[in-house]
Amino acid sequence: MALIEFADFSFKYLGADSLALKRIKLTIDNGEYVVITGPSGCGKTTFCRAINALVPQFHRGYVAGNVYTDGKNTREYEVATFASVAGLVFQNPENQLVTLDVEKEIAFGPENLGVAPSEIRRRVEELIELLDLEELREKHPHEMSGGEQQRVAIAATLALKPKVLVADEPTSNLDPQSAEAILEIIAHLNKRGMAVVLVEHRLDLVAKDASRIILMDKGRIVADGDPREVLAMDLCEEIGVGVPKATQVYKRLKTRGIELGNVPLTGVELAELVQEATSR
Amino acid sequence: MSFLEVFQYTRQDSVMHRLDPRSKLVLSIVCATVSMMFMEIIPLLMVFTCLLPLIAAAKSLGRWAKSMKGLGALLVFVLVFNTLLSPMEYPFSYSLSLAIRLVALMTSFSLFFLTVQPDQLSQALIQMRVKFEFAFAMSMAMRYVPTLGQEAYAIMDAQRARGVELDKGNIVKRIRNIIPIIVPLIIVSIRRALSIAESMESRGFGVSENRTYMEMLRFRKRDWALVLSSLLILILVIYVRFFVGLPGWMMWNLPF
Repeated sequence: MALIEFADFSFKYLGADSLALKRIKLTIDNGEYVVITGPSGCGKTTFCRAINALVPQFHRGYVAGNVYTDGKNTREYEVATFASVAGLVFQNPENQLVTLDVEKEIAFGPENLGVAPSEIRRRVEELIELLDLEELREKHPHEMSGGEQQRVAIAATLALKPKVLVADEPTSNLDPQSAEAILEIIAHLNKRGMAVVLVEHRLDLVAKDASRIILMDKGRIVADGDPREVLAMDLCEEIGVGVPKATQVYKRLKTRGIELGNVPLTGVELAELVQEATSR
Repeated sequence: MSFLEVFQYTRQDSVMHRLDPRSKLVLSIVCATVSMMFMEIIPLLMVFTCLLPLIAAAKSLGRWAKSMKGLGALLVFVLVFNTLLSPMEYPFSYSLSLAIRLVALMTSFSLFFLTVQPDQLSQALIQMRVKFEFAFAMSMAMRYVPTLGQEAYAIMDAQRARGVELDKGNIVKRIRNIIPIIVPLIIVSIRRALSIAESMESRGFGVSENRTYMEMLRFRKRDWALVLSSLLILILVIYVRFFVGLPGWMMWNLPF
C-alpha cells in the first residue's frame, strides 16, 4: 500500500472559477523525498492540503476522485485522523506557534491526541535535542527569529510522529541562511527514514537531496520523475521553474553542442563533469 | 502607562513564581480585601509594609518601584483633588489614606500578575473545570497581542507612505484617521486566524475528549500553607476590625 495515493483527484475552492487541482494521479511511498515546484497558483498548496484532508474537510469546495493517505480516504475521515500520519508545516511560522513557549508548543499536538504525559515529555526532550532548540526552550515566539520559529514549528509537527512531513514553502518567509538551515534539517529527517513532500522554489538548494521532482502548472502535474531527468527538460524554462544554475550551464553547453554526459544539480557536480570532459 | 508593567508577567525563578497560581490568587484577593477594609493611615501602612516583603520574595522590587514611580502623577492627582474637594474633617489625611490604599491594591494584584504566566493561568482555569477551548482562547489572545501590535505598526507605516497624515488635525479628524488602520488590520487578522486554525486543525486540535496535559499544576504543601495562612489572617483582621475595634493609636490622623 502506498503512503499517499491520489486517484484522479480534482478540487475547486468554493467561489473559485477554475479547478485548483485537475485529475491528479500519483502515489508517494515511504522514504521518498518529493519536491514539488511550479509557478504560483499552480495548485501546490492545495496539493499539500489534500494530503491531510484540510482539502476537502477544512476548505470546502467541489471534489472529484479520491485521496488515500495511509490507506484512509480523506473524504471520509476528519483532519485530526491524519495528524499522526501527515505532518504539515506551513509558510508562515508565526501562524503555527499558538502557545507561549517552545516546550508547550511541541506538546500541543500530542496533548490534543491524548498521549500520556510521560511520553509527551519524552518526545519534547527528544525533539529539542534533534532540532537544537535548547536555547529557545523558554522563549516567547515573539522573541525568536523567523528561522527559529520555523524550526519550532517543524518540531511541533514531528511531535505527532507522522510518517510523512509535508512542508509548504517553509522557507519563503526566511532569509537565505535560515532557509538553508531548515532545508538541511528536512534532508536530515529524510535520511532518518521519514518521507518528505516539500514545496520549494529554490531548487538550487534541494534538487541534490530530492529523490523525485514533480512539476505542476495550472492544477496539473506536467512532469514527475528523477530530478536530473525533470530538470533537463525544456519544459522547466517554459513554465518558469527556477532550474539550478549548474543545470542551466549544462543545458547551454548542450545547445552549443557540448555534451557533458550526466546532468549536474550542483556546482560541485558540474565542476567534476567539466574536469572529466576536459581530461578526456 | 509604565505603571501597568507591574501587572505584566516576568520570567524569574523565585519562591513566589514557583507557587501554584491558584494559591497566589487567594493571596492576592485576601491582600486586596484587607486593604479595602481600612480607611485609616496606620493600618493601611501596616498592610503596605506586609506586602513589600512578598514583592521582594518575587524578586521584583525593582520593577515594582519603577511602576510606582510611573504611578506618581496619578497619586499626586488623587492627593490634590481629594484634599481640595473632600467634605471630610481632615481632608489631607483622608486623601493620603486613599493614595496608600490605591498603592496597596495595585501591589496586591501585581503579586498575582507578575508571577503567573498566562499559560499557567489558563492551565489553572482548566483544572478549575473551565472548558479547554475557552481557557486556550484566552492564552492565545495573550500570545497574539504583540503580533497584532507589530502588524498595526506596519499598516500605519504603509498608510503614511501613501500620504495619510495620521498625527494631524483635530480630535474628530484623528479619530477618523483610525479607519484606514483598523480596516486592513481586521482583514489581515481574519486571514491570520484562518491560517492559524489550519495549523491547529492539522495538529489535532479539539479531537480527543480525553485531552492530556504534559504538566498539571500541583497543589503542594507550601500552597496549602499559603492559602491557610492567608485565610487565617483574613479572619483575624475581620475579627479585629469589626468585633474588637481598632486600638486608639491606630486611628491616628494628621491634624489637617
